[in-house]
This record gives sequence, structure tokens and C-alpha cells, in this order.
Amino acid sequence: MRNRISTFLAYLGAGLTLLIAALVPFVLMGAFTNAIAHAGLHVDENYTGGSVARVLERNGYKILIYQPVRPHFLQRTVPFVQIAFEPVSALPAEVNEVIDLDSDGKPDVQIRFKTPADPQTALHGDALALDGKFLSFENIGNDSFSRMVIRIGNRILVRVPMSH
Amino acid sequence: MASSTTTVSRPAPFRGIGRSLLLTLPMALWSLLIFAPTFRTPEHDHQISSLLVITFMTTLFFLMMRTGKTYRWRRIFFVAVGFLFPVGFISSLIALRGSMSIPIERMVTGDTPFCYMVFPMLIVPAALTRTLIFPGSILPTESNPHSIAAMIALWLGMTLVLGKAWCGYACFFGGIEEGFSSIAKRPRIRRIDPRFRLVPWAILLFVVLLSAALFEPVYCSWLCPFKAVTEFPSVHSIESAIQTAIFIMLFAGLVVLLPLLSKKRTQCAFFCPFGAFQSIFNKIHLFTIRFDREKCVDCSLCQSVCPMMAISPESVREGKTLLNCMKCGACVDSCRKGAAVWHLKGTKVGLHPERARLFFLYGAWAMATMFGGYILANAIDMTLHFLPFHF
Amino acid sequence: MSAIHFIPIPAFASIGEALLLGLTTGPVCLASCGPAVVPWMLAQPSSVRSQSKQLLLFLVARLAGYLLFATGVWVLGTTMMRAFAAHTWTMGAIQVFLAASLLVFAAGWPRLRRHEKQNAELVHIGKPIRQKRSGALTLGFLTGINFCPPFLVASVRGAQLLTLPATLIFFLSFFAGTAVWFTPYFFLGLVRRTQTCVLVARITAVLLACWYGISGISILIARLIHG
Repeated sequence: MRNRISTFLAYLGAGLTLLIAALVPFVLMGAFTNAIAHAGLHVDENYTGGSVARVLERNGYKILIYQPVRPHFLQRTVPFVQIAFEPVSALPAEVNEVIDLDSDGKPDVQIRFKTPADPQTALHGDALALDGKFLSFENIGNDSFSRMVIRIGNRILVRVPMSH
Repeated sequence: MASSTTTVSRPAPFRGIGRSLLLTLPMALWSLLIFAPTFRTPEHDHQISSLLVITFMTTLFFLMMRTGKTYRWRRIFFVAVGFLFPVGFISSLIALRGSMSIPIERMVTGDTPFCYMVFPMLIVPAALTRTLIFPGSILPTESNPHSIAAMIALWLGMTLVLGKAWCGYACFFGGIEEGFSSIAKRPRIRRIDPRFRLVPWAILLFVVLLSAALFEPVYCSWLCPFKAVTEFPSVHSIESAIQTAIFIMLFAGLVVLLPLLSKKRTQCAFFCPFGAFQSIFNKIHLFTIRFDREKCVDCSLCQSVCPMMAISPESVREGKTLLNCMKCGACVDSCRKGAAVWHLKGTKVGLHPERARLFFLYGAWAMATMFGGYILANAIDMTLHFLPFHF
Repeated sequence: MSAIHFIPIPAFASIGEALLLGLTTGPVCLASCGPAVVPWMLAQPSSVRSQSKQLLLFLVARLAGYLLFATGVWVLGTTMMRAFAAHTWTMGAIQVFLAASLLVFAAGWPRLRRHEKQNAELVHIGKPIRQKRSGALTLGFLTGINFCPPFLVASVRGAQLLTLPATLIFFLSFFAGTAVWFTPYFFLGLVRRTQTCVLVARITAVLLACWYGISGISILIARLIHG
């Protein structure tokens, strides 16, 4: 009797496996993808740059200042603040901005870069720290996740590293 | 009167043509269903590649039914996927950005295609902080259809069907080693310390623990040999140069040289942490290989043909394979006494092995067609695009 | 002694603050101590009782590390601690010591000889393994003086307290908060041991030792080059 039950269950399981196989591309993949997408997960801010904290309006363009990104656990990265300049088409030929990043009323960093006309041209820029909380850099392009001046689509991203 | 010439008789086919065709029919229909959307597009290249893949997969399945053998036909598919995947993938990278290296910009925008091998390393950081330590996008985008959620969903669905058989029917990296391991007629390295089988588990534990502490996918950054045939972060520092050197050496050693010399899938059997992770699912997977102790004569042929060293003398005495068995069927096909059999857990060993094999193969081949078939079609498509003429 | 700003805080407030800090930053401790703790625990004898004993020893040694650090924090002050924290010599040295410890303990765990049996199941019930060297105290102490980010946050607050006993109680409370997060490690005792499991743990320990060793040595070399 026990053997019969276990055999029945075995074949039931085998049949279910085939059913699952049939459902994977048409039903299950979509369902699982949605479930994972709604699980409240997010990609590490070290890659994405974090979320926007404030927007500064300039003459025809905007400066988006992001929340500071700090290392998780023992992550071997330097904390940074991301700043986005958009749209690139509205930027002057040379951008030279002094920005208060932490809203304390004092300027924190001076960003300088030349806006390339050709999107394929490699971008480089400088950041001069006016506050001890931040670190300066010169002539940096896509150096690292915590220190970069890069073009993404119609915006230019600058990441200014912070001192620990 | 005896004939003066001796003729070597071919073994009789396992199954008649009619029955083999009948058993193949569901798989043919499945293939048509999977590739049906391509026939609605106006692009003839897509249609030709889909047709080729449908024919290929269906023919191989027919041969499995006709001959009663699994390993050699599965291997043809698997090696094809292993070698054609880089063709399609690298071609698409070069078409998209002119290089195999991933610029940091792509990682910032989340355009890095998600590789399933990262998955074990994501679990602990995601559980503790809900953060995914991979520079991809959660949902598919136009520039990155291989998003994190989609690929994890695909892995989950396929693992429910395949379990550890992922390593034999789905992994597009394993086919490269399997190809190199098939070249030599005899192995030059005959004796491999069985303790090396435990190294993948240690590497799994190592990368999971370290990735959780350092919050970076350590295996991808430092140990993945397959960056040599996919994509890798651009070399811009001493550290990244060292990382590049490591993955090139690992690929050359574990994926090319050692399989050539040993006729084993050395990277899979002795290194791959994802393979160790998938082995866990062998504990619950319904299909397995068993050894009928009444028929077994302990000739050890199964152990020598197993590409994963998933059979030991002790395991044979217990009538089982080891946890890293990927159900490729090599042992079953090679066993002269019919002692190695396909088995459905819960049923009597050796009672209906062909039935167990059929149940397993329908599921496994369905997944192989869906996933590996897509890879093959993509590669054929890319190749057709490079031809001077178009269809 | 550098300038230290002592802040009079009621004792219960500082205990509460430290406990909360420990609880909220505990996941960092769980993850950062994992590489040292898990392989070591997987090589220990199987029963939950003996595992718990070993883990408690580990935590006691870790607490000793915390309290030693707390004493240093109070005596040297926050400025010195920040300089000390940034002092990569210590970080590099701790990592090299940790690597050496892992290698020594891995060498001391029982060996699986070539001819020994490989069972069908990777992990199943086997005989308890006798350990030559345990490692609880050394590993616990080394992880206790490790400069992880929550530790540094705690050190800044701890250095601001009026008296040494207050700083020690602060770190004790901080330790209690982080120790809660070590609870999952007690369940490693449920994993049944075989010599196979121990071998996996040994190989993992060797790999981690290589990582920490290389990391520590490169920190020290970088320090030597850049001064």
C-alpha cells in the first residue's frame, strides 16, 4: 500500500514537473519576474548613484544633487555625492559651478568641465573641494564609482568623493 | 558453414522509427510553439535561424528516442550552445559598444546583463539590506533585456524542472568545457584526487561569505573564468589588470587545458560555485540515476566516463550517484549490464527506467529548447547578419 | 592627550544609545565576521551544545577585544582614534594576523585522507570530529579589535563619555546589541558533520586566509610606498 502511494506521488510529481516546464515561458517567468520586481529590492547605490535630494534651477538647465552614498558593510568604496547636469544640450561650453551639496548655506565644491559637442568624445572634469567633507580631483573621467565625470544620455554625471 | 568474413553487427535500435517519431512529436510541437513569435516577424534571418534550431533540437530528441541513448545527443546540443553563445554574445557587444569590456557608464545605467552565476552571492546582502550587489537593472529595459528580475525568474523556473541538471542542459558555459573534454580519445590525466570535488563547495562558501562582508560579487570580480568569453570591466588600474590576468589564466587552465588532458569537465566539477549551489537541488529533485546492485559488477566504467566525477565506489555500493550528478546520462549509456538506470524517486529502482527517463527528458529538453535553443538561434542570427548576402 | 570634549550623558541614555547602535549596525557585524566564524564553526564538533559553547567563547574573546579598544578610545581620545583608525598599519596587521590564524587552525583540523570514503550524501551523520586547536579565543579577539564602520561610530561616541567605566559600559552595551545578531550562527550546530564537511570548511578557511593575507599585505605595502 505504502509503495503504491509513493509510486502514485512520484508520478504525480513527475507530471507536475512537466506542467511547470510547460508553464515556465508563458506564465511562470512573468509571474516570478513581477514578484521579484515587487520584492522591495534595489540595486546598490554605489552603482546607481542613489536618489535625488534637491534640484537646482539654472539658466536653461538643472543640477540634480543626490543623497550621499556611503559604503555598506565592509565595502571597499569611498563615500560620494552624485551631481547630474541636464540636459546636456542646454549646458554652456564650459561649466563652472560652485555648489552647496549639504544645504548648510556654505559652498562645498566647485565643479568644472568642458561640455563636448560630440557625445562620443571622452569627458573629463575637475572638482575642487571647498569643504573638508569632500575630496578634490583633477582631470577625471570614468575613474571609479566614487569619482567620475561621465556622460549618460542627455545628462552629465559627476561623483565627488567624500572624506570618511 | 561459417562465413569467412566476420561482420560487425550494429546494435538494434532501441525503438522503432514510428514510435520514436510519436514520442518526438510533443517536442517538435513545443519547439514550434517556442519559436512561433519569430515567424510573425518580417525578418527572414530570424525565421531561418528559428527553423534551423527547431530542426536541430527535434532531430536530437528523435535520436535520443530512437537509440535509447542520452549523453551523446545531449552533448551535441550542449557543446553547440557552449561555443555559439560567445559568438552571439560577443557579436552583440561589439555591435552595441564596439568592445567586450564594460565601461563604467554601462554599470551606472544598469545595462550590465545579469548572469545567473551571481545569484548565490546576492542572497545574504539582499536578505540583510534589500540591496542587490550587481550593476544591472531590476526590470528589463530596451538596452538590457537580461534584467535581474527576469534572469532570476528564468533560473527559478528552470531549476524547478531541472535541478542540478541545469549544468547538463542549460548552462551555456559548461558546453565549452564539454567540447574540449571530448576532443582527446584518451585522457592524459587519469587519476584525479576525489577530494577536489569538494572545492566548489568551499568556493561557494568563500564567495558567499566574502560577498556579504565586502558587498561586492567577489566571484565575478576575481574568479570567473568565463569573462574571457563574455564581458569584463575595462582595465584601468593595477587591480583590474590583475583581475583580467586571473580570469584569462583560469579559463585557459580549467576550461581548455585540463578538460583536454583529463576528459572531465574540470571547471564544473572542481571549481564552479554555482554548480555546487545547484547541487543542493538534487536533494529534492525527483529524477536521479541509480545503480541496480543485482546487475552491477563493479567494473567502474561509469566512474571513468562520468564527466563530473559524480560517482564513487562507495556511492555505487549504496546504489546512488553523488550530489553533483547532473543527469547527463553518460553512466547509463555506458553501462554494459544495464545496472545504471534512470530513476524517479518514490518508485522501485530498475522497474520502469525508460519511463523515468522520458519524464525527465521531456522536461529537460523543453527547457533546453527554450533557453539553449534561443541562444543558438541568436548566434545563427548574428552569423547570418555578417554574411554578404541577406535572406 | 588630544583635546577631548567630554559630554555628560545620563548612564541609561548612553546604554540605550549604545544598545540601539549595536542592534542597528549588527548586520554589518554578522556579515563582516561571517568569513572568520562560519568555516571555523563548520569544522567544530557537531552538537548544538558544543557549538554554542565555542561560540560563547568566541563572543567573550570578542568582548575582550571591544573593551580593550574602548580603553584605548577613552585614553587616546577621538582625534587620536580617528588618526589611529585611519592608520592602515593596524588594519593591515589585523588582516595578516587573521589570515595566519585561519591557516593555523585549518592545518589543525582533521584531515580527510585520500583513501577515505566519499559518501553519497555530502553531509550526513558521522562520528564527532576531535579538534586539536579550537580558535574561538583568537578569532574572537581579532574580530573584536577589527576596525569595521560601526565600531568606529561607537568609538567616536564612546570617547566623548566622562569616565572610563562609562565608556566600557557603552561598549559593553554596544557589544550586546551586535551580539544579538550572532544568533543565526548558533544554528550552524544543526548542520551534521562529516569529515567531508570539515574538509570543505578547511579549504574555505585557506581561501579566506589567502584573501585576508593578500589584502593585509597590499595595505601594508601601499602604506610603505605612500608613507
